[in-house]
Amino acid sequence: MIRLWLAVWMSRLAGWASRLTGRGGSSLPGVVARRIDPRVLSRLTARLPQGAVLLTGTNGKTTTSALTAHLLRARGWRVIHNHAGANLILGLTAAMTQAARCRIYPRADVALLETDEATMSRASLETRPRAVLVTNFFRDQLDRYGELSTTVAFAARGIASLAEDGWLVLNADDPQVAQLGAGLRRVVYYGLAMPSPDGASDYQAVDAQFCPRCGQSLTYQRRFFAHLGWYECEPCGWRRPHPDLAVERWNRAAGEVEFDWRGHRLRLPWQLPGLYNLYNLAAAAAMALTMGMVPEQVEAALQNFRPAFGRMEPVRMDGATVWLALVKNPVGFNQVLQAVSEEPGFKVAVLLINDRYADGQDVSWLWDVDFEGWVGRTGIAAWWVGGIRARDMAVRLKYAGVAESAITIAEDPEKAFASARQAFPAATTYVLPTYTALLEIRRYLARRGHVRHFREG
Amino acid sequence: MLRFLHLYPEHMNLYGDRGNVLALAQRAKWRGIPVEIVHAGPGQAIEWSMVHLVFLGGGEDVHQARIANDFYSRRQDLTVALTEGLPMLAICGGFQLLGHYYRPQAGQDLPGIGFLDVTTEAGPSRAIGDVVSDTTLDLHPGTLVGFENHSGQTYLGSGVAPLGRVRWGHGNNGRDGTEGAVRQHVIGTYLHGSLLPKNPHLTDLLLSWALERAGEVVPLPPLDDQPEWMAHQVIVARQKQPAMSGVRLT
Ligand SMILES: [Zn+2]
Repeated sequence: MIRLWLAVWMSRLAGWASRLTGRGGSSLPGVVARRIDPRVLSRLTARLPQGAVLLTGTNGKTTTSALTAHLLRARGWRVIHNHAGANLILGLTAAMTQAARCRIYPRADVALLETDEATMSRASLETRPRAVLVTNFFRDQLDRYGELSTTVAFAARGIASLAEDGWLVLNADDPQVAQLGAGLRRVVYYGLAMPSPDGASDYQAVDAQFCPRCGQSLTYQRRFFAHLGWYECEPCGWRRPHPDLAVERWNRAAGEVEFDWRGHRLRLPWQLPGLYNLYNLAAAAAMALTMGMVPEQVEAALQNFRPAFGRMEPVRMDGATVWLALVKNPVGFNQVLQAVSEEPGFKVAVLLINDRYADGQDVSWLWDVDFEGWVGRTGIAAWWVGGIRARDMAVRLKYAGVAESAITIAEDPEKAFASARQAFPAATTYVLPTYTALLEIRRYLARRGHVRHFREG
Repeated sequence: MLRFLHLYPEHMNLYGDRGNVLALAQRAKWRGIPVEIVHAGPGQAIEWSMVHLVFLGGGEDVHQARIANDFYSRRQDLTVALTEGLPMLAICGGFQLLGHYYRPQAGQDLPGIGFLDVTTEAGPSRAIGDVVSDTTLDLHPGTLVGFENHSGQTYLGSGVAPLGRVRWGHGNNGRDGTEGAVRQHVIGTYLHGSLLPKNPHLTDLLLSWALERAGEVVPLPPLDDQPEWMAHQVIVARQKQPAMSGVRLT
């Protein structure tokens, strides 16, 4: 008990100290807490009436957990939530130790923890989650984990420590994710039931599209993007499980989505662009409904949702709209470009590519983004490139057929952004940064008073 | 007209390998040379005499294992074509399969076609990071840049020359300073990046070999490669910054 008390208080002290010295997002609070009491995460989550819920997967973790937290709060639960990106074991620990001001055990109902795939096994073992949600598996940050199959194995190990009465919430449209639920009883699947969208070029980023059971090629009846869709393996008969929650219709112009939840019709307000955000919404709704929320509560709660910072968030600046969307892997980048192409207006883009550890040190992935297919459709009139690897991005655009006169290079992300705004002050500006470039742009916007929730991330 | 064959693009397309095919195609098109890109997967027939350049990328271990037998079954026809001067660029896993064998940590050896006199064994850790090498090819400038990410350690036999000597980075095996291998018009390397967009001199050399194979005597007029060389220079310059060098994660 003394040990836990010390761990929590020393961790909070470390948190205050690192904020005082101007560096938020430090890993120190987590390190201190775990050094003093290695079981601190497990002790703190065990006291929560609804326990812990873990969200993992390659793309959409941050938006999905922000949405899920929003929904669960609307039903009256007090939710502990880790900051976007602080999703390794130290970040999870820090979220728990810093959730209360004076008490040791936070006065909350549930801890909703966005968890990195490689941390799943450990986080799950320590928190014995009541539910685990897996969004999708795409190639990402390969210099960190090695291979996609390794990532899938990490998640599978995490699921093995699910609480006995725990639920698994899975994306039915991703074969590697759906496979995780095979043979388990307490599984809720979500997926899309709309027609396939128009694809870009046929030379798309080729991701895993082999049967996770027998290794043969999957055939698709519908394909939404990358390897997400209605698939079937003819040789072994394995196919997409029937989803409990299905997105049936999306009216982008009216900002409305229709779901089917086990025969019950839901009509939700929805303003975010892009099919990938629709998956995030479906995931969060499936989780909230699994946790016992009723459909009417979900409908009502979505009336006033705002997205997480830098996940396709509109910022009004001097009379124009600036969108910020993190890009970190080929599938995500393609999806953002598709979303841009669906928006109206005169548009310019600012692509900010860093290659620090958190961005992925290998920029090869830029060549797996289907710029050939998208540049002509996005309607972007001028491109700015910035960041440490601005030169690589410029070459990528050149080979995708963008005229060199339409590309401006300014390595400093702030300068690239400022230059784009100055050149076309009335244009809708799409800022697409990698992770550390997003942090740089956020600091810049915060200094100029444009960012509302400064501490997130 | 040049016809490029991208072998096993669904299985062997890790780390932006397709960027190399895109670079070859664009640099031909910018010079008015029409290009056709064809794909071939396991079991599909290939008419080697119709192909002017072959590209084979890297893949995850499970995928590499799935195509290895198919590739091996093509060894006779392919060896004849390569000996006759068919140019080929093979990266990472593809490079390994051009050698005699790949020996994983556990399980059976994957047989290679043995056109390049090299052997590869899985090492205890991954070599990950930027690479700058001085190439043995007659190219100006003499540097190649890229990013390596491999656990295989490759050793060259006496029948093959290295593609380059590492100035910075791990290279084939981290010991003898060699990077990649070259024999006739066949190049194997561990460099991603993607490799060819940032090394336009190497791209043009491959294009000139492909034209030779097609029997077209067309000179390659120079292009404005300033953006490419700026990207190339970003990596060459890192070697001079000690803080950035030697970063190795395993
Ligand atoms: Zn199957």
